[in-house]
Amino acid sequence: MARPGFVLEVDDRTPPLVVHEGAGYRLEKFPLGTQVVYPAEPLQAVEDLSETIAEALDQPTDSAPLDQLLRPGMKLTIAFDDISAPMPRMRRPDIRGRIIEAVLTRAAKAGVDDVALISAIGLNRRHTEAELQQILGERVFRSFYADGLLTNHDAEDADHLRAVGGEADEVALNARVVDSDLLIFVHVASDTREGGAVSVATGLGSAATIGQIRGLPGLVSTGAAAQRAGELVGASVPIFSVEAVLDNHVFAAPLEFLGKREWEWSVRDQVTWLGLRRALAISPSKARQRLVDAVPAGYAVIGVNAGAPSAVRAKSTALVLSQQLVEVQGQADVGVIGVPHQTPYSLDSVTNPILAAWSGLGAAFGAHTGKPFVREGGALVLYHPMPIEFSPLHHPSYVDFFADVLTTTTDPLQIQEKFEAKFATDPWYSHLYRTSNAFHGMHPFHTWYQIAAARSHCSDIVWVGADRRSVERMGFRAASTLADALEIVSSTVGRSPSIRYLHNPPQIIADVR
Amino acid sequence: MSTAPAVAFGAHRPGTERTDRPLLDGRLKDLLAGKKILLTGVTGFIGEQLLWKILSELPDTVPAVLVRQKGSATARARMVGVVKKKIFTEVREAAGGAEELLDSRIDVIQGDLPNVPALPTDIDVVVHCAGDVSFDPPINQAFTTNVIGTKALMDRLIEACSDEDGVLRKIPHYVHISTAYTAGRRRGAIPEAPHVHSIDYDAETTAGLAMRDLIEAESRTAEQLTRLRKEAEREHRVAGYLTTAADTERRRKEWVQAKLVEAGTERARSLGWTDVYTFTKALGERVVADLGAKIRISVVRPSIVESSWLHPYPGWIEGFKMAEPLILAFGRGELPEFPASPDAVIDIVPCDHVVNAIVAVCATEPEIGKAEYYHVSSGARNPLTFQGIYGMLHAYFTAHPFEGGERGAAQLPNWQFPGAASVERLLSTSERAHGVAERVLAKAPRSSRARTIAKDLDRIRGRLDFLRRYLSLYNEYGQSELHFVDDNTLALTGSLHPDDQPRFAFDTSVFDWRTYIEEVHCPSITAPIRRLDAIRRKRGNRPSTMKDLSRNTAGEQALAVFDLDGTIMSTNVIEQYLWARLPELSTAGQIGEVGQVLRRLPSYIRAERRDRGSFLRAVYRRYRGADLAALEESIDTTLAPHVLSRLSPEAVRRVREHRAAGHTTVLITGALRPLTRPLRPLFDVIVAADLATDADGRCTGFLTGPPLVGESRAAWLQHYASLHGIDLGRSFAYADSHSDLPMLSCVGNAVAVSPDVPLMRAAGANQWSVVEWKIRPTTPRWTLPR
Repeated sequence: MARPGFVLEVDDRTPPLVVHEGAGYRLEKFPLGTQVVYPAEPLQAVEDLSETIAEALDQPTDSAPLDQLLRPGMKLTIAFDDISAPMPRMRRPDIRGRIIEAVLTRAAKAGVDDVALISAIGLNRRHTEAELQQILGERVFRSFYADGLLTNHDAEDADHLRAVGGEADEVALNARVVDSDLLIFVHVASDTREGGAVSVATGLGSAATIGQIRGLPGLVSTGAAAQRAGELVGASVPIFSVEAVLDNHVFAAPLEFLGKREWEWSVRDQVTWLGLRRALAISPSKARQRLVDAVPAGYAVIGVNAGAPSAVRAKSTALVLSQQLVEVQGQADVGVIGVPHQTPYSLDSVTNPILAAWSGLGAAFGAHTGKPFVREGGALVLYHPMPIEFSPLHHPSYVDFFADVLTTTTDPLQIQEKFEAKFATDPWYSHLYRTSNAFHGMHPFHTWYQIAAARSHCSDIVWVGADRRSVERMGFRAASTLADALEIVSSTVGRSPSIRYLHNPPQIIADVR
Repeated sequence: MSTAPAVAFGAHRPGTERTDRPLLDGRLKDLLAGKKILLTGVTGFIGEQLLWKILSELPDTVPAVLVRQKGSATARARMVGVVKKKIFTEVREAAGGAEELLDSRIDVIQGDLPNVPALPTDIDVVVHCAGDVSFDPPINQAFTTNVIGTKALMDRLIEACSDEDGVLRKIPHYVHISTAYTAGRRRGAIPEAPHVHSIDYDAETTAGLAMRDLIEAESRTAEQLTRLRKEAEREHRVAGYLTTAADTERRRKEWVQAKLVEAGTERARSLGWTDVYTFTKALGERVVADLGAKIRISVVRPSIVESSWLHPYPGWIEGFKMAEPLILAFGRGELPEFPASPDAVIDIVPCDHVVNAIVAVCATEPEIGKAEYYHVSSGARNPLTFQGIYGMLHAYFTAHPFEGGERGAAQLPNWQFPGAASVERLLSTSERAHGVAERVLAKAPRSSRARTIAKDLDRIRGRLDFLRRYLSLYNEYGQSELHFVDDNTLALTGSLHPDDQPRFAFDTSVFDWRTYIEEVHCPSITAPIRRLDAIRRKRGNRPSTMKDLSRNTAGEQALAVFDLDGTIMSTNVIEQYLWARLPELSTAGQIGEVGQVLRRLPSYIRAERRDRGSFLRAVYRRYRGADLAALEESIDTTLAPHVLSRLSPEAVRRVREHRAAGHTTVLITGALRPLTRPLRPLFDVIVAADLATDADGRCTGFLTGPPLVGESRAAWLQHYASLHGIDLGRSFAYADSHSDLPMLSCVGNAVAVSPDVPLMRAAGANQWSVVEWKIRPTTPRWTLPR
């Protein structure tokens, strides 16, 4: 039985604790009384994955078994979400490849000829061939890719997008999906957001559709826009949803100790830690990034659910929560978050300052059951070096967003009014998104909007060890050490605030009572 | 011999004192009333103050000025400029304006030395103070100015004062401004008398003038031109033939100039003078003595003329004289040692003393045909040693350092006066070390570190050149052991009317050097430098051809031209070749191919250094047999991300800013056209190399035309501009390499992007902005496209 997550209160005997800061780690001695939220240990993995998958497909929730949905002559589309989940990437074989192989076997048995695979990238970057192989496995890739039956979704391809639902153009989806008799959507559930029919809209919709959900109006409507889009999608396309839920085994050997509690490190762990620290200290930044990127996560599958999207979503959410939820008492004055080296949007790439900010303020801070772990008007202290570096291949629009937009304003509303339309229609971004491996021109806007909640909730946001220029550009503050950061925020939270450190990754969903 | 002051010689024995000195017997304004004084060199330092003195102190004297036309500015226009200066304010306002002052008081004669026009017949006195201020003019120029010019002026003067038969109607007084250093390499006491020598100035002049043709002819010999061309090629070959040719011609002219200077210096030294300036000045004195046999002549020999002691105001100076560059360099901490003897006298005289002496000399009436000499100098009775002036400069700059910017004030050097030989050793060792560093740098690969080192080296080069030039020029003066006897001058200032004493005295023993150097001279000459420094600090020192485009109005008239490799993308053609070819080969094939390329790498590098075009051809030869269509396909599918990930984000932003400003964006590259395919949406025009194919669509290894490199880019731009109504003056170009110099030179806004060292230097010389566009590909160099 895995140990659940818990809250440690720092006392004299507490050793310095690991804090992630980009492509590096530091050991931080927290003030006495700091509450440290530790994630649960990984739950029991399923014993026989093939059997679990078969079981899910044969006994789906609120749906007929998959075999009965397949018939000769039908048009079948299998969509799967992109490499941004899970993060870090899992070891081969990817669970989606396993599920899709099972689905394809059944489809072949049922005599379905017209099968197409679409990577539901939404506004994320197109996959490379290697990445598609990574997700699907070599066999599936080889069978479909050369014939053009395995494609990346294109949210800007007006010729192959079709409006669904009543009112004109409210939601537009990939035409192949709309034309299909059945859409099988294979999803890895790593958080409680989206999933189900909403993921179909955000993964396979037009740029405008995704903008409605992820853009400012969608965020303001607190899920209403997403729900409406999901309903429209669900009403127009028959969806058979398959969702796999992973445990939180983020650190595989030899870095397994990073997932352990520090006082339980063995001598071997401590030696590895010292070696790792030395290696990171002497490596140039690019080598450091490669070093920490090199180890894929050791994820195991803890459950596979299939059937009607909403029912599947509910089951997956429950399973995700059982793995990630940690109960904490009350809201703290100061929250501390270490931002790790990878974000879903910077795999094999550069974590630019905006993505780093999103990773801490959007993903980590936003993971809660309705109440953030820091009180309103409290302060956040985050760790990341935030170098001003961008990938010209993956993040061309981020470069301009950082240089042109953030120098004008950091206010989401003004940004939306002044800049969003220009970036959304920029032909160069569009060209790179459609033909190269660039994120869409709207992408930086969506990530920035997701930071807004943390920005308005907290009175002070301080980054420890960050490049002062980039932090200032984004409207935050920089400090060299935790002590300095606490000094800076003392004007709003006082000299002896209650401090709470979110010991992530692995991802923690805070259940604040 | 000693340079001890006059007292060391003891007083005159009674009876040996000269009694026939021409002295003054009244107020100067009365003595010179109604006289017309012709001045040359009024646009210069001494001439200007002399004119001011006459205008403001001698109301009944008429100055006539001989001024040459300079460019489109006529003599009169130049004179308007002169009398508009601050010191003339009072006389100008009294006359009612600059033009009125000229009309009412000054007789302007447009003319040139040695082509002196006919002079007015009513001239009483001529003061010839025009001349070169440089110590090292080319030999022909020195003779033209100092010998032929003097001769011509005296001839015209005598003509103007003679009737048709050549008989003198009146006896004018010719006052010649020479220099005390006409004594040359003599030592000890120099009397106020003609220097003893037996040089035939006509023969010397003819020989000196002939040097010009001789050296000019020598500079055009095949050997010489070959040598110069090779030197130019070493630096500019990659930029192309025309650039090299222009540089060769520049080098030839410089060589001619240097040789003429050298010829002058050597001739002077071979006859016992320090340099051609003092040598020809000495010959000029002889000309004066010979031609002035029938008129009154005086020769005034000032020593080193510096800022004024009292008039028009303490510290008045125009332009930089002999000592200023050294004093300023000292203040900036850039003059580590000085090759002077600490006890040698630096013979400085304030300008107003010289001017006063000249005015007084004008009022004397020397014996006809017997030249009177006047030393206006300080060394005999009020000597200032190098050790002394060093202490004063040190004290002044310690109390009033130059604003040092972010690094604080410069550290002042601590002179030990180790002697000329030791300074020379220090200098030549530094020069050798610099040469070695420069050669090492030339072999270093391009990097921002190389650029930083190059900048440091250039700064050191500048200082070394400065030191070399000034030290070699002033070396002799630093050890001068001359003692200019100034009895004549002293007697003359003593004979001034008591009422004239406050305004016209010129006894150089009256002032205290510490006051003069620390409170008068140094504040005066450092003031403009401090002002300039302040301005420079305020506006920053950056030239900006990297303009803000948001308000650019050139629109369709402007081009924005970008180079590819190294400017907007970090690649080179060899790398591109390997990307394009390797993925289709087996592992063994890949190893073989890389091995071959590596083996040929030295020859490629040699070719690249020689001529970029032949280098490109050599590399492109390897594409022989490749299927062009397949190549393009593979570039679109697998190579494009590789290309795009090596783009510089700043470069892409700049291209897009140009597009937004409505400019036509152009990519000019020697790279193959297929490789530019991922960049097509950024550029309106792409000029790249095209591979020729055979009937089966396979590459022949040849190009369809010559690759566009070096000067062909400039030619392409000019032609394109003429066809499309483009204004290149308002256009922009961005490039990283010296071979792009011609292209950058033909647009109005050129920007050097992470340049190589030669281009960085060219950018500095042309005031182009230098920007660093960082390119940090996420994948390492050796990763193959997947």
